[in-house]
Amino acid sequence: MDSADEKVVVVILVAGPSKGTRFRPLSFNTPEPLFPLAGQPMVHHHISACKKIPNLVQVFLIGYYDEREFALYCSSVSNELKVPVRYLKEDKPHGSAGSLYYFRDRIMEETPSHIFLLNFDVCCNFPLLEMLESHKAYGGIGTLLVIKVSAELASQFGELVADPASQEVLHYTEKPETFVSNLINCGIYVFTPNIFSVIQEVYRLREEKAYTRNLPNYESQQFAIRSLPTDFVRLDQDILSPLAGKKQLYTYETTEFWEQIKSPGMSIKCSALYLSRFRSTSPHLLASGDGNRSASVVGDVYVHPSARVHPTAKIGPNVSISANVRIAPGVRLKNCIVLDDVEIMENAVVVNAIVGWKSSLGRWSRVQADGDYDTKLGITILGESVTVEDEVVVINSIVLPNKVLNLSMQEEIIL
Amino acid sequence: MKALILVGGFGTRLRPLTLSVPKPLVDFANKPMILHQIEALKAIGVTEVVLAINYQPEVMLNFLKDFEAKLEIKITCSQETEPLGTAGPLALARDKLIDKSGEPFFVLNSDVISEYPLREMIEFHKSHGGEASIMVTKVDEPSKYGVVVTEESTGKVERFVEKPKLFVGNKINAGIYLLNPSVLDRIQLRPTSIEKEVFPEIAAEGKLYAMVLPGFWMDIGQPRDYITGLRLYLDSLRKKASPKLAAGTHIIGNVLVDETAKIGEGCLIGPDVAIGPGCVVEPGVRLSRCTVMRGVRIKKHACISSSIIGWHSTVGQWARVENMTILGEDVHVCDEIYSNGGVVLPHKEIKSSILKPEIVM
Repeated sequence: MDSADEKVVVVILVAGPSKGTRFRPLSFNTPEPLFPLAGQPMVHHHISACKKIPNLVQVFLIGYYDEREFALYCSSVSNELKVPVRYLKEDKPHGSAGSLYYFRDRIMEETPSHIFLLNFDVCCNFPLLEMLESHKAYGGIGTLLVIKVSAELASQFGELVADPASQEVLHYTEKPETFVSNLINCGIYVFTPNIFSVIQEVYRLREEKAYTRNLPNYESQQFAIRSLPTDFVRLDQDILSPLAGKKQLYTYETTEFWEQIKSPGMSIKCSALYLSRFRSTSPHLLASGDGNRSASVVGDVYVHPSARVHPTAKIGPNVSISANVRIAPGVRLKNCIVLDDVEIMENAVVVNAIVGWKSSLGRWSRVQADGDYDTKLGITILGESVTVEDEVVVINSIVLPNKVLNLSMQEEIIL
Repeated sequence: MKALILVGGFGTRLRPLTLSVPKPLVDFANKPMILHQIEALKAIGVTEVVLAINYQPEVMLNFLKDFEAKLEIKITCSQETEPLGTAGPLALARDKLIDKSGEPFFVLNSDVISEYPLREMIEFHKSHGGEASIMVTKVDEPSKYGVVVTEESTGKVERFVEKPKLFVGNKINAGIYLLNPSVLDRIQLRPTSIEKEVFPEIAAEGKLYAMVLPGFWMDIGQPRDYITGLRLYLDSLRKKASPKLAAGTHIIGNVLVDETAKIGEGCLIGPDVAIGPGCVVEPGVRLSRCTVMRGVRIKKHACISSSIIGWHSTVGQWARVENMTILGEDVHVCDEIYSNGGVVLPHKEIKSSILKPEIVM
């Protein structure tokens, strides 16, 4: 096939509000996929990576959020990318493979030769071009991005065993209880269009099973007991697992960073990874300053052009400051994300925290956490429009929108 | 006659319920909180009610159109663009409250539930001839509130004491006022407190009088008081021998059941329970001291006490839910789960037990 005919479509699964409850209180007014990491919406990092792909014809965001939530973002990023970026709304969740299959006609509109499938909640450097090249060389139906992690971490994800010579996927298990492998599925795939036939076959088999479900046997009862409806098809368990060992699935291993953004606190860790990557890919996005004409900057810091930071403030490492933020004299920010329209007053300190849109932190206030990304209260999160009064200390806490904190607190969730 | 209901802000103390609807629309005894007040005002001839709000006016306005039609009373909103405190909103709504009649107008606090003896209050106001009347209620722990010190015989207010450390009296401001239009001349359009600035001024001139509220009173702005308030409210229905209270061998004490709710065999319901429209209570369920909101399904053999179950939630078979468990809208507690004081935000599924009070986001 002539490489000019090899059109590529990228599909990003963005899920919907029910999955978004894990991102509360930040997801109350912004869908999780649009939450900013290193100053850009979560999925923007995926979409920016797509620029590298030659012959990219379309990008689809598939999810079950309301269309309005993505309308603005899609039109602005289409402009920037010069490639149509469209949001396709499912009426209900169909599972990762089910969603892909549900929109197969739209996806195949321009007869792409390859289809990327990306999960919105992964943070990595997206080696899409390298994956595509490897995939073409392997000649299978799909190639998964994989990474080696520690054995204990591996059990939280899909573990796979790959043939060291051919890179073929020999075995795949989702969240196993015993150790299978320390190679995990990163949630980034490239497929050839015959993946749709594979999914179709699974649907067909289910139809058959459902038909025979009237017979009282154990297996059909098991299927009925499972709370997933028959049209919910998961890519990993239902499609890829059966394909292992059949010379259809291959792996591309990345040695760069990879994280899954499972909680609001993780967004600080992932922000740091992306900010550090900016140093090599887009250094102009990072702030700098030495305290003379502009604030002292330590490490990787992003400051939106409309934000105002007083020169006596010290910012970083790992700080992202969004639009219209005002940082007063003597403020110290470290390992935090400050969202739009926040005002932080004189001499306040913010460490290991996310400060929600339109919030206000008083003079000498202190918002901090121990920085443990794995615990519920390890990163302090202030929702939208939270006011922390002068000299108040908030440690390891989560505060829902529209609250005024006039007393110090530790380890609390404030509704 | 006119009235103003101070609705105020975000209702954060009643979360997670107020994450789904604005506070005045949260159901209490099977009726939106604010409807209790609007009905009481309508009953004594108020023709127009102004709601002072600063949050989600669109959601409110939709509901209000419904009530307006059903009750034949005019309901308007006065929206604050910045929080104006407890007196500022009156200045904002000035034009709506004053008409040529010069009649006094009522001001109610939307979090309050009580007998609403408004007719008696009008009589009291006429008899003392002062500028403003307020209802006061007797409480056990006055230091939690603002105490109103009055002259025994006349009810003339001598002074207000905010959260007194020593005992000065046991009557507190019940949040129900009847004010002459001249009071509006004392209020500027800025954040102002009626208890701290306006009333003390009127009291100093000897023109403020307090009437002791007969019957029950509760500020139901937070879950614990909401549950206590339901007990007091149902108790008052019992005293009036209200036909609305349910009866039957499966009912203990005061229980309110909406006519569209279904209750199965072998249940024991009460005391102090309210079951909302469209609810399904399956056989063998025990409910006590709880509120079950619209569209909830309680499955077989479950046991719920001292809790609030939010709209369209489900409680699984053999589940036990107690000790101030508050389920937001569309929360599903799986079979056999135990919840001890779980506070669950909307659209969640509870698959493992909550052994001690915890917020589930």
